[in-house]
Amino acid sequence: MSASPMPDADAQTRIRASNRRTALTLVSIAVVFFFGIIATKFMGGPATGIGVVGAAVLLYLVVAIGRNLRDKR
Amino acid sequence: MSSIVHDHAPGYGHDDHAHHPSGITRWLTTTNHKDIGTMYLWFSFAMFLVGGTMAMIIRAELFQPGLQVVEPEFFNSMTTLHGLIMVFGAIMPAAVGFANWQVPLMIGAPDMAFARMNNWSFWLLPPAAILLVTSLFVPGGAAAAGWTLYPPLTIQAGMGMDLTIFAIHILGASSIMGSINIITTILNLRAPGMTLMKMPLFVWTWLITAYLLIAVMPVLAGAVTMLLTDRHFGTSFFNAAGGGDPVLFQHVFWFFGHPEVYIIILPAFGIISQIIPAFSRKPLFGYASMVYATAGIAILSFIVWAHHMFTTGLPTAGLLFFMYATMLIAVPTGVKVFNWLATMWRGSMTFETPMLFAIGFLFLFTLGGFTGLVCAITPVDIQIQDTYYIVAHFHYVMVAGSLFAFFGGAYFWIPKWSGTMYNEKLGRIHFWSSMISFNIGFFPMHFLGLAGMPRRIPDYAQQFADWNMIASIGAFWFGASQLLFLYVMVQCARGKGEKAPAKPWEGADTLEWTLPSPIPYHTFETPPTVK
Repeated sequence: MSASPMPDADAQTRIRASNRRTALTLVSIAVVFFFGIIATKFMGGPATGIGVVGAAVLLYLVVAIGRNLRDKR
Repeated sequence: MSSIVHDHAPGYGHDDHAHHPSGITRWLTTTNHKDIGTMYLWFSFAMFLVGGTMAMIIRAELFQPGLQVVEPEFFNSMTTLHGLIMVFGAIMPAAVGFANWQVPLMIGAPDMAFARMNNWSFWLLPPAAILLVTSLFVPGGAAAAGWTLYPPLTIQAGMGMDLTIFAIHILGASSIMGSINIITTILNLRAPGMTLMKMPLFVWTWLITAYLLIAVMPVLAGAVTMLLTDRHFGTSFFNAAGGGDPVLFQHVFWFFGHPEVYIIILPAFGIISQIIPAFSRKPLFGYASMVYATAGIAILSFIVWAHHMFTTGLPTAGLLFFMYATMLIAVPTGVKVFNWLATMWRGSMTFETPMLFAIGFLFLFTLGGFTGLVCAITPVDIQIQDTYYIVAHFHYVMVAGSLFAFFGGAYFWIPKWSGTMYNEKLGRIHFWSSMISFNIGFFPMHFLGLAGMPRRIPDYAQQFADWNMIASIGAFWFGASQLLFLYVMVQCARGKGEKAPAKPWEGADTLEWTLPSPIPYHTFETPPTVK
């Protein structure tokens, strides 16, 4: 049986920053889907929609891989 | 779940840890996940009663052939609002209520990651509900095109449609905020040692559900925004008169709508996965396969939307693709049902009310799943499209699936939440009454559908009279049974009953059961360590 000590102020700041990053990533997914679906219909043709979502996915991958590489350094 | 060793810090249950505003201020300004979870659950039950009343009006009208209770236009508004309120006002908020209560407790977090946003997520719901209900009283009446809101009817409808669109925007914003909160909480606030593959299955199902919500709620918001601009700003996304395509709305709607089915059912799977091991006194069989099956269902849910549109003239290749993709969902779902049965196999089972609801869920949801497979077969679906067979199918999934699981979850956790044991005898009466009346109400709808009775009509041919009368009797009985549930829960909330121990269920092993009952206002301020 054990209880971890209360996280210190630094750790709490890190958790808050991490929470904000996660939330911003998720919000941006929602925004892309919302405007993506309207853009698809507005411009006509499925290519636009696939392009928007595909570009977003690629962007996320680039950012995620970049962050991972930076953390490892 | 793997064994958990936890030592909650001293001070839990002390008055200095439980201070909070009292009266209405507490509920308006609270950022406590337990208070917000409670509000979600009461709100969802209130909306369940509102939507249920509409169902009673529908069944009263259909009790016998001919028009006797309401006008056809009002009947259409009732079917539309019943669907919208039950899906967005009752079932989804109930699932979020369970998540608010249980996710932080199960992962050893002190609260949700964004406590203030959590409060806001909830308080967006009542205005949306008011908009939906008051749309009945505006000129032209409420939306009456069915909960799917298909154009061109929704482009031509009156002001009630605008209120519905606004309500859906608000509900969508609330759901997205809630989902962001849940994902962030699960990813960032787990107690030390609580790895992803040690999380209780309820948490896993909610993590996946929240991702689904973030992906599809904006799509619905986009679809209704385009409807709005078609109605008022001269665009022609779905307006055939201006070169738009109404069928495109169906594609967009069901890209949201089918994952929505899993948004509703996955948290129910999570609750069942907590209840069955607890009352079988065995760990959940195949934990990892349950996680992968949940993820598999979620992924597949994105590629099956057009099985709702088999009669819209899709190309044959499309029909085949969506038929086979839909059938594929039976595989991960079958894994889940198999694992629940295997968990029960040779377990030291007892049959308290939560377990009764879990077994009822298993039996009826499987039945609903099988009729879903029938609907997936394109040539069959073309025959039964928009008949009562479809109504029977999705009520077996939504009511006997989600609702039974939520009832089971409420009985399972209410001793922990309120500190009072529920009345077991009344709980069992509630279960049996619901189980029998549900089947009387909805099983005959399969026969009606196969005989060709269309849905969303206030009048019907004489040949359908007998089964409709039986279905109405079952529906009235089912509705009345839920008042018993309300009574049992109110008694617990008022502390009328036997005091609950910290761990009333012998086989329950998740973190919340290590805390005293009733649960202190603040918990896990010092994170527990999970081994």
